[in-house]
Amino acid sequence: MPVPRPVPSPEVLRAGAPAVRATGLRKTYGRGDAAVHALAGVDVEFTRGEFTAIMGPSGSGKSTLMHCLAGLDTATAGRVFLGDTELTALRDAELTRLRRDRVGFVFQSFNLLPVLTAGENLVLPLQLAGRTPDRAWHEEVVTRLGLRERLRHKPSELSGGQQQRVAVGRALLPRPDVVFADEPTGNLDSRAGAEVLGLLRASVREFGQTVVMVTHDPVAAGYADRVVLLADGRLAGGLSDPTPDDVIDALRTLGA
Amino acid sequence: MLRTTLAQLRAHGARVLASCLAVVIAVAFVVATLVLNASAGASLLDAVGKPFTAAAAVVTPVRGTDLDGDPVATGAALQAAERSLRDLPAGRVAQVAADRSTGVQVQLPGRTGSTYAQADAVTAPGPLRWEGVLAGRLPAAAGEVAVSERTGAAVGDELTVTVVPSSEDGGESTERVRVVGVVDLTGDPTARYAGRVFATDEQLRTWDAPVTRLRVAAAGGAAAGPAAEEVLGAVAAAVPGELAAVSGREAAEERASAFTGDAAALTSVLLVFGAVAVLVASLVIANTFAVLLAQRTRDLALLRCVGATRAQVSRSVLLEALVVGLLASLAGAAAGTGLAAVVARVAADADSPVPLGTLQVPVRALVAGVVVGTVVTVLAALAPARAATRVAPLAALRPLVPAPVRSRGGLLRLVAGLVLTVPSAAALVLFSTRGALEPAVLAGAVSFVGVVLLGQRLVPAAVGLAGRLVRGAGVPARLAAGNAVRNPRRTAATATALLIGVTLTTAMVVGASSTRATAGDLLEAGYPTDVVVSSWEEPVDDALLERLRALPGVAGAVPVLEGEVELSTGGSTSASGVDTAAAAGVVRSQQRAPLPAPGEVVVAGRSAEALGLGDGQDVEVSSPDGTAVRLRVVVAPDSEQGTVLRTEDLLRADPAAPVSTAWLRLDDGLDPDAQARVVDDVTEVVAAALPSSGVSGVVAVRTAFDQVLTTMLLVVTGLLGVAVLIALLGVGNTLALSVVERRQESGLLRALGLTRRQLRALLAWEALLVAGVAGVLGVVLGTAYGLAGTSSVLAAEGPVVLDVPWAQVAGIVAVAALAGVLASVLPGRRAALTSPVAAIAD
Repeated sequence: MPVPRPVPSPEVLRAGAPAVRATGLRKTYGRGDAAVHALAGVDVEFTRGEFTAIMGPSGSGKSTLMHCLAGLDTATAGRVFLGDTELTALRDAELTRLRRDRVGFVFQSFNLLPVLTAGENLVLPLQLAGRTPDRAWHEEVVTRLGLRERLRHKPSELSGGQQQRVAVGRALLPRPDVVFADEPTGNLDSRAGAEVLGLLRASVREFGQTVVMVTHDPVAAGYADRVVLLADGRLAGGLSDPTPDDVIDALRTLGA
Repeated sequence: MLRTTLAQLRAHGARVLASCLAVVIAVAFVVATLVLNASAGASLLDAVGKPFTAAAAVVTPVRGTDLDGDPVATGAALQAAERSLRDLPAGRVAQVAADRSTGVQVQLPGRTGSTYAQADAVTAPGPLRWEGVLAGRLPAAAGEVAVSERTGAAVGDELTVTVVPSSEDGGESTERVRVVGVVDLTGDPTARYAGRVFATDEQLRTWDAPVTRLRVAAAGGAAAGPAAEEVLGAVAAAVPGELAAVSGREAAEERASAFTGDAAALTSVLLVFGAVAVLVASLVIANTFAVLLAQRTRDLALLRCVGATRAQVSRSVLLEALVVGLLASLAGAAAGTGLAAVVARVAADADSPVPLGTLQVPVRALVAGVVVGTVVTVLAALAPARAATRVAPLAALRPLVPAPVRSRGGLLRLVAGLVLTVPSAAALVLFSTRGALEPAVLAGAVSFVGVVLLGQRLVPAAVGLAGRLVRGAGVPARLAAGNAVRNPRRTAATATALLIGVTLTTAMVVGASSTRATAGDLLEAGYPTDVVVSSWEEPVDDALLERLRALPGVAGAVPVLEGEVELSTGGSTSASGVDTAAAAGVVRSQQRAPLPAPGEVVVAGRSAEALGLGDGQDVEVSSPDGTAVRLRVVVAPDSEQGTVLRTEDLLRADPAAPVSTAWLRLDDGLDPDAQARVVDDVTEVVAAALPSSGVSGVVAVRTAFDQVLTTMLLVVTGLLGVAVLIALLGVGNTLALSVVERRQESGLLRALGLTRRQLRALLAWEALLVAGVAGVLGVVLGTAYGLAGTSSVLAAEGPVVLDVPWAQVAGIVAVAALAGVLASVLPGRRAALTSPVAAIAD
C-alpha cells in the first residue's frame, strides 16, 4: 500500500538544518547557596529523521533537557530552536500552539485521558488545533498500531502496552517536526516495551520522523540511531548506532 | 494525632477558611433570624409596655365578666378601687395612677373632615409617668394637648376635638385645644392605627372619659422583687372580684402578645429558610471535606505508612471537622449578630412595622447557631472521613490515579426515592386541586425528599444527556461533558444543593405570581368597585358626578339609586337601581355580584333567604300606579349588594328613589400612592358637595394586598438567595476538587496543546453543565410545587388562576448557570497556572 511520507515543515526540510537545537542551555532551581543547576550549559543538536536517545544517571538533567527542548518548561538561560523558531522567545500561548502543531509527546505514564476512547485520544491534538486528520495517514497509523479493534475502548479497558501504543500513534498523527518520548517503556514489561520501541523506530525509518527519547534503559537506547549522554547537567559524550552493551559501557564510564 | 491535625489546619488555614464560608453563611442566617426575633420581642415589650415599666401592679377589668359591655360600671369599679388603694399603708405605695381613655373626633389643620383619635390622660408626675416627648412638652392645663406623630399635627397647632358622649343623655361637645407637644411612641405598633391625643386628667374628665385601668408603683420604684410583690399582693386583696391585678411585667407581656403572634409566625417562616440554608450547607460541607481530603490523599497515606491506624486517621479528620465547624460557626454567629444589628438599624430608620429598636442577643440563639453549625459540619464530614480511612498506605508511593467512583446504595436510594415520590406526588395533585392545605403540604414535603433522593440518579443522567447536546461545541465542551459525569455521586451532591435552592426560589416566584393572579380575581370579585361614594342625606346629583368624572385618575362614575320595592311574594325590601350598560364598564368583576339583565332582579344569597326567593323564580314588583313589573330572580349567593334592579325597573316601583350612591372606577395601572391621591381628591370633591357622605376606596385593599405580596416575594427570594449562594460555593468547591484530582490530566492536555483559555473553558463548561441542569430541573420542579402550593392554599376560595412568570423563571435558570460559570473562575485560574511539567512529574 503506497503511503505518502510525512512532510515536515519547510524550515526543517532545508538541507542540513537540525530539527531541534539548543545553545548554552541552563536551568537553575533555587538561589544563592541553595541553587541547583539541573542544566549547566548544554549545546546539542538533533538531526531530522534521526532517532536519538538521551541517557544519563538519575539527576543528570535528562528529563529537564527534554522539557526545555519541547517547550514544556522555560530555561533559565540559553536558547532553544525548533527548526528556525526560537522557543525561548515565545510566550505561553504561542508555546502551547507550537506544541499542539509541531511537537508530539509520549510520556512514561498517564498518557491518555480517561474520559475519551482510544480513538478520541488518538485525534485529540488535531482536534485541539481544529484540524481534521488526513484519512489515509490515519488509516496507516491505526494499522501500524494494531489497535483497530480497540479504538472504541476507554483507556481503562486497554493494557499498558496498548495504551502506550495509542500514545505513540497520537504523537505521530499530526506529523510533528519532532516526537519527544519521556521514558516511554518505563512502566511496561519487556515485550510491550519492545513493541513500542519498534513502533518508534519504524516511524523514523519508514516515515522520516524525528524522535528524541529520554531513557535510562540501555536496551531501549539500543533502538536509537544515536545516544547523547548527560551527567551533572552537562553533555558527557555520545554514541552512534549503539548496541545495549556499548551503552552500558558508556554509562559505567560516567558513573565512575 | 491532635498535633498533626492542628498542623494540617494551620497549613491549610486559608483554604479551610474559604471553603467553610458555607458554614459561616448558614449559621449567620440562623443566628440573625433568632436575634432579630428576640429583638423584635424585646423592642415590642419596651414599646407597648412603656406604661407598665415602673408599675408593681396593674388593675384591669376581668375579661368576660362584663358581657353587656357597660364601660361606665367598670369605670366606676375602677374608680372605687382607686380610692381603696389610696388607703393602702403609707410608705409602701409611691403612686397610684387611674388612667382615663376615650375616643374622640379630631379635626386636624388642613383637613376638611374629622378623624378618630384615642384620647388618654397624661400620667401625673411621679414614677408612673411614662409619656416622653419628641418635641414641646406634656400638657399641664386644660385646653392643652400633646399628640402622637401619626396625627401630623405640630406644636402650636390648634385642633378641634369633638366628643360624642357614651351615654344617650349627654350632648355632643366641641372644644378647641392647642398642641403643646408630640409624644414619643417609637416602636409601638398601635401608634400607626390611629392618632393619639394626650391631655390632662381634668380635661379627660370633661370629655367624659372613664377610668380604664389602674397602675400602682411601689415605694422605691421597684417593679419587681419582694417590695413589688408585696404591693401586688395587697392590691390584689383590695380590689373586688370583677377586677384583676397583675404585675407590670405581666401586663406588658399580655399587651405585647397581641402583636408577637405575627412576629412568631415570621420567625418560624424564617427558620424554615434557615433550615434550608443549613441543609444546603451540609451538602456543600461534605463536598468541601472531600476536596480537602483529596488534596491530602498522600499525606494521609503517609500517616498510614508510618503507623497510624484507620481509627486514628478517621479521628483526625473528624477532629478537624469539629475544629473547622466550631470556628466557622463562631464566625457565623458573630456575622449573624452583626447582620441582625444592621437589619435592626435599617428597619428602625425605615420605620418598619416590626419594631426593632432594642437589639437583644439571647445567648441561646448564639449557642443554637454554633451547635447546629458544628454538628452539621461533623456529620457532613463523616462520609469523607470514612473514605479517607480507606486510603491504602501505598497510595503515598503511587502516582494519583483517580479511580472511577461507584456509588453504592444507589439502588436503595432509587427505590426509596420512587416509593416516596410517586404516591406523594399523586397525593399532592389530589389534595392541592381540592384545596386541602395541610395534607398537601405534607405530601409536598415527602415528595421533595423523594425527589432529592431520586436526584442522586436523575441528576448525573440529566448531566450526561445535556453533555451530549454540547459535544459539538468544541474539544473543551466534549471533555467537560465526560468529566461532569465521572463522579456521579459528587455531581449529584453538587447539583442537588443548587437544585434545592433553585426549586424553592422558583416555587416562591411561581406561587406568588399565581397567588397574585388568583387573589386579584378573587378580590375583584369580592370588591368589584374601586371607590364607592355614599350620601346619607342629599342625593348625588349629575353635577357632582360630572365633577368626579373630570378628576384625573377617575376612569368612570355611575349613579346608583336607592329605593324601596314591594314584592308580590310579600314583604318589601330596599333595593338598588343601576344602569347595567354603564355600570358594566365601572365594576371590575361580575363574578359574585352580576348586574341585572333586562327583566331580571339580582338578589344576594342572604337577602334571597330572608325574602324567601329562589333562583329562577318569577316575582312581581308592585308600582304605585297599580301596575306591576314582572321580573325573574337571579340569586347571587356570594354577593354583598342586597337586591339590585335595573334603574328603569326600580323607578317604576319607586319613582322617588334618589341617587344615593356613585360607583367609581379609577384608571388602571396607578400605583398605591397615586390611588390614594385620587381617593383623597374624590373625598374633597364629595365632602364639599355633600356634608353628610362617605367615600370608601376599596381599591386600596387590592393594591395593598398586591404590595404585600410583592414585598414578601422580594424578601423570600432574598432569603432563598442565601441557599443558592451557598450552593454556588459548593459548585466552586467541587470544581476545585476536580482541578486537584485531574492535575495530571490538565498537565497532559496542556502538553498536548490545550491553551490556558481552553483549560478554563473546560471547567466553565463543566460548571455550566452541572449548574444548568440543576437550574433547569429546579425550575421545572419549582414551577410544579409553586402551582400546587397556590392551588392548595386558594382552591377553597374560588377558581385558581395558574400564572407562570416565564421571564422570571428563565431568569432564574440563567442566573444559576451564569453563577455556576462564575464559580469556575477561581478553580479554572488555578488549573491554568499549573505548569504542565509539574503536573506530569507528580
